[in-house]
Amino acid sequence: MTCKGVRKQLSAYVDGDLESVEAGRLDSHLRECASCAARERSLREAIERVAELPKLVSPESMAARVLSRLEVETRGPGLALMFRPRGAARPLMVPSLLPAALVVVAILGGALTLDRFRNGGAAFAGPAWDASVADSGTEQNPLFPSSDVTMPRARLGRIVDGAGYRAAAGEGSFFLETVVARDGTVSAVTLLDGDSVQARPIVDALRRELYEPVRVQGRPVAVSVYRLISRLEVRPPRI
Amino acid sequence: MATRELSFRSADALVGAAGQETGLVEQCRQGDPRAFARLVAVHEGMVFNLAARLLGDAEEARDVSQDVFLQVYRTLARFEGRSSLKTWIYRIVVNHCHNRRRLWSRRARGASRPLEDLTPSDEAKLSRAADGGGDPYDRVRRAEQAAQVQAALLSLPFRHRAVVVLRDAEGLSCEAVAEALGLPVGTVKSRLSRARETLRKRLGGPRGGDAL
Repeated sequence: MTCKGVRKQLSAYVDGDLESVEAGRLDSHLRECASCAARERSLREAIERVAELPKLVSPESMAARVLSRLEVETRGPGLALMFRPRGAARPLMVPSLLPAALVVVAILGGALTLDRFRNGGAAFAGPAWDASVADSGTEQNPLFPSSDVTMPRARLGRIVDGAGYRAAAGEGSFFLETVVARDGTVSAVTLLDGDSVQARPIVDALRRELYEPVRVQGRPVAVSVYRLISRLEVRPPRI
Repeated sequence: MATRELSFRSADALVGAAGQETGLVEQCRQGDPRAFARLVAVHEGMVFNLAARLLGDAEEARDVSQDVFLQVYRTLARFEGRSSLKTWIYRIVVNHCHNRRRLWSRRARGASRPLEDLTPSDEAKLSRAADGGGDPYDRVRRAEQAAQVQAALLSLPFRHRAVVVLRDAEGLSCEAVAEALGLPVGTVKSRLSRARETLRKRLGGPRGGDAL
């Protein structure tokens, strides 16, 4: 076997991919040829160094950001178009116009209704089309933090700090969703990932937390917050 | 008034002990944000690490990672389960990184910020091992060595880099790499051989720690 032939097969050889006869030939060549043997050693070392590369971790939790971007995109075709990444498929114009036309009709209808009530002197109980958005921002359908919805701020003296979380977490790692209700209390804590028994002290602590109520356009809203808690890191999402 | 009814569901209850992946995918398809948050939490480490190694830039890797998960969400309906979810995500990450790299090379002249290679400081800051304590000198030496290997990876053509990162850094078999990249196994092996030979030449000297 020639040195050139060995070089061609060296990668497959170190992976153990060669047939036994071929591997035997290469073995005997490497025993006799110092140059090829040195090449084999340096190849193994290079592979080892790539394998030893540390796993890099994003300093911020991805879930909250991705979910808030999805929330923005699903609000309507107008916003979705604004936030659509460059090069993504464009929706057809006609289907996009349909919701826009519905909004125009709703506004005109609302204005006409208001006008009718004012002329008739009757008290107006509230626009009927508001009911369609009433569910958004409730505890059953909380909002995600975004550029419009701020992260809930903990009331002083009640939040469990990072050290407290770590102490409670022990060796475990937990991914949790906390719903901060409209009155600032925690209405639900859901363990999405991690050992449920180990997570109990953290879940109990999270349930007792109190926050300043989050408001959107003056209206208190419920907000969903995702957290990753582990021995090494505590990462409430930053928006 | 807020509902005080507290829910407490473990991951197992949420996803189901058997067929976790299928169950998770199905829940995501039905528009369950919790299931999708879990999918992101399970795969975000792999996605960010792979993107960072392929692009060599932490900031870009963060952006790409988010784009990857958005595409996963949008195209999950088309995922047929022929490969594993992870393999499918690998492919999306590699495609996004390839496109991003091409975009950067096209705009390189007018770019306000060039792609920056991961420095030893980035390696130390972003690596899990760096958090694990130990001798500070060792941590710095490891970070220097990792930056040296990363620089060698970035010197490879993208198609070679993708193969060697998936095979040697992520530990996939050649068959799995072929599936993730949509290439014949023979092509993967030949690209791997060339990529490793280039790395061998570039990393041939003593380990970077001696330079300290």
